[in-house]
Amino acid sequence: MSVDVVAPAYRCSCPSRKFPCKHALALLLLWSRGEAAESGADTADFAQEWADQRADRATAKERRQTEQPADPEAQAKRLATRLALMDAGVDDFSRWLTDLVGTGLAAARNQPYPWWDGVAARLVDSQLPGLAEQVRDMASRIHGRTDWADHLLFNAGRWWALTKAWSARDTLSAEEFADVKAALGWATASADVQDTERLTGPWLVLGAHRSDDGRLQQQRTWLQGPDGTVVVVLDFAGQGQGLAAPQLAGALLDVTVARYPGSAPQRAMFTGPITPRGAATSLGPGGSIGQALERESAAVARSPWRTRIPVLLDGVIVNPDGNGWLHDPNGDALPLVDAPLDSLLALTGGHTTDIFGELEDGRLRPLTVVVDSMVVTP
Amino acid sequence: MTWFDDLRTSALVGTGRHAAPLPPAELGYLAPDGLSREEYLLDQAALADVVTRATRTASAAPGTGLSSPAPVDTEPQASGEAARLLELLLTQPPVNLELRTQLVVDWLGFAEESRRRVPHRLLPSLLTLAESKSAVLRSLEPAIGTRGRWMQEIKSPPSLEPATQKTDRRGSDAAAEYDRLRGRDPSAARVQLRASWTSLSARERAGALALFAGNLHDDDEALLEKALDDKAKGVRDVALRLLDQLPGSARAARMAARLKPLLQFKGLLSKRLEIDLPPDPDKEALRDGTPADPRKGEPDRMARLEAIIKGAPLDVWTSVTGRNRSATVALLQEEPRILDAMVAATAARNDAEWARALLTVLTDRRLLDCLPPEERAHWLERHVRESNDEPLTLAPLLYDLPQPWSMPLADTVLTVISGKDGGRLAAMLAEDLPTALPPEATERCRQLLAETDKDAARRRVLRDAVQYQSFKQSLTEAFR
Repeated sequence: MSVDVVAPAYRCSCPSRKFPCKHALALLLLWSRGEAAESGADTADFAQEWADQRADRATAKERRQTEQPADPEAQAKRLATRLALMDAGVDDFSRWLTDLVGTGLAAARNQPYPWWDGVAARLVDSQLPGLAEQVRDMASRIHGRTDWADHLLFNAGRWWALTKAWSARDTLSAEEFADVKAALGWATASADVQDTERLTGPWLVLGAHRSDDGRLQQQRTWLQGPDGTVVVVLDFAGQGQGLAAPQLAGALLDVTVARYPGSAPQRAMFTGPITPRGAATSLGPGGSIGQALERESAAVARSPWRTRIPVLLDGVIVNPDGNGWLHDPNGDALPLVDAPLDSLLALTGGHTTDIFGELEDGRLRPLTVVVDSMVVTP
Repeated sequence: MTWFDDLRTSALVGTGRHAAPLPPAELGYLAPDGLSREEYLLDQAALADVVTRATRTASAAPGTGLSSPAPVDTEPQASGEAARLLELLLTQPPVNLELRTQLVVDWLGFAEESRRRVPHRLLPSLLTLAESKSAVLRSLEPAIGTRGRWMQEIKSPPSLEPATQKTDRRGSDAAAEYDRLRGRDPSAARVQLRASWTSLSARERAGALALFAGNLHDDDEALLEKALDDKAKGVRDVALRLLDQLPGSARAARMAARLKPLLQFKGLLSKRLEIDLPPDPDKEALRDGTPADPRKGEPDRMARLEAIIKGAPLDVWTSVTGRNRSATVALLQEEPRILDAMVAATAARNDAEWARALLTVLTDRRLLDCLPPEERAHWLERHVRESNDEPLTLAPLLYDLPQPWSMPLADTVLTVISGKDGGRLAAMLAEDLPTALPPEATERCRQLLAETDKDAARRRVLRDAVQYQSFKQSLTEAFR
């Protein structure tokens, strides 16, 4: 009976068809309480043998992957095919957009969901999954929002600009092109990012957000580096799969991080094992609501495709009116979205507090509150 | 109409019908040549999107909703293990939901004793639970602390009622006010009711009178007697029900005078009690609550006899037989309806002496409630141990007893439960038993659980009892 806690992997001599079996679970429970025998001096022979085998297999696999001869010709061919496919998809999409405004947004609102899904499916076929996701979401939003007309108009404009940017991609800087790629849903392989840089910590976890739309679970973790750089780590998992372990807001992590190409705040990934180094008592200096909106404005100027800006607000008060508001000492107010109002009120008690959140569409989604020198998730 | 309104209009109806507007000059937008109408509109939409997002300004603060900040909490918050246990109970209770409610109540009680308060972050889920569980709502104070009270105020502010509801509210406010007065000072309440008697509606008179039930006194008799002449049947019924509780009243004496001629103690060797049915009621008897003839069909003479028995003092029976209460009751063993009326009278007057006598011939929950708690527990224990009744008949006797039970009672009940057919009793007591058993009985439950048992209901109840006690033990330790 032995467990590899890093993978995690389990091995047991029992004939149970459940996996992991109850013995493995029990061992994990013991381990989590610090009562299990760690690998080391007194490892049983069979366990050591198994661990060695696993290590061998892992290195062999890695070697196979790295040693695989990269065929630049085939790669270039694949890239050309993909670009041609995407060009055709973007062309098709821009024609759809002109049709959309030609017949009017009011007519589009009367379309059933399959109509939107059909458009999204065509985009997926053209390897534009990012756009497809946005179009699919729009179907429910125009029925759910009161300001659906403005929302659809703005998004149509944004999509239109995206198609234009794609056609003019040769004139874009590398950073701008990376943003366009991300918006269209052209994924950057993590292997390409892995070795580009090693930013060392400690990284402060500003806040995290989890969502589950039924098809996909998503986790965004906002991190702040020692020099104030803010990055976001995205994790995805399909239905039924487990997301990466969430990081506690306010925790200081000793980990190396590599950033994806694109404009700030950049997406990043952990490139090493994560070692917690205690908890922070504050999130550092923040700003006023006015400054937060200025940051949004600057971020839009950098990359109009970016819709979520991390902001840290200083000395704000929670107002439970409607969907909730934040007030700052200057008399400015910012509406909240997806806010657990009861929890915010209970934690802050109507006193001024520092709040970290995502500014999205002019509304703030609060993720973290600082109360009594403690960083807590409401 | 601004540029953007114009843009939205043409987008909504389609460029086919409404061309896109000219963009404002200050945006410095120059359309390339040869654009179609649709492209021209989409270009402007993209511009509008970026301009809107880049020029967002802070909204003016809404005037409403903001209340003054919560005052500082005076008590220290429950920390460490205690807070963790409460969080566990609120978010992923390890026990079933009834036990969870009870344990949350226990937690709040422990917190009160050790002068701790609920941690702020747990207040929302606690208050949500209190919305659906009144037991939790009642025990919130004082453990929720200043912040909790502040939250409650925000969640249900003392809002201004719409004018239409005001008149109704005044009536119910007055009733609530009267209820408090009756609880505090019964005689003052009586004087007030007598003074306002004529100005109240029939429903209000009946309602106010019904409040006497909790602390009825002999001095109330005059008002009740007056209420017997009331126009409204509802008021008369309430007064009759209350007069049944006063064996020393004039009405009880009149009922006794009606009952006495009906009872005859006969026989030379084997004495027996013969009971006649009452004659048709005269006007006075009708006023005292004897049922009148129904519109059609035969009158229920037995019901008349019952009304008389319930109204008359019970001592009429002993004075007729000349024997003590138990011996008198023994003579009536063959008369279930008579006995039932006597039980009702005993229960209404809370007469422990008669309850003891009646308990020798029959078992009734109402009689048990007349006994002092210790005597009741003792009686129950003996009854559970010695009676050969079906275990199921014990369940109604055991509901809603003060908790925790005495150890001997718990022991005997556990014996019955672990015996044959005990599983069904366990199932019926599933809600009461886990919280009612005293901590000392836990070991016995553990032993019973350890024995192999196919009865799922019994196992569940025993397991609940063990879980409840062990969780409560953890609470005790956490607050130490």
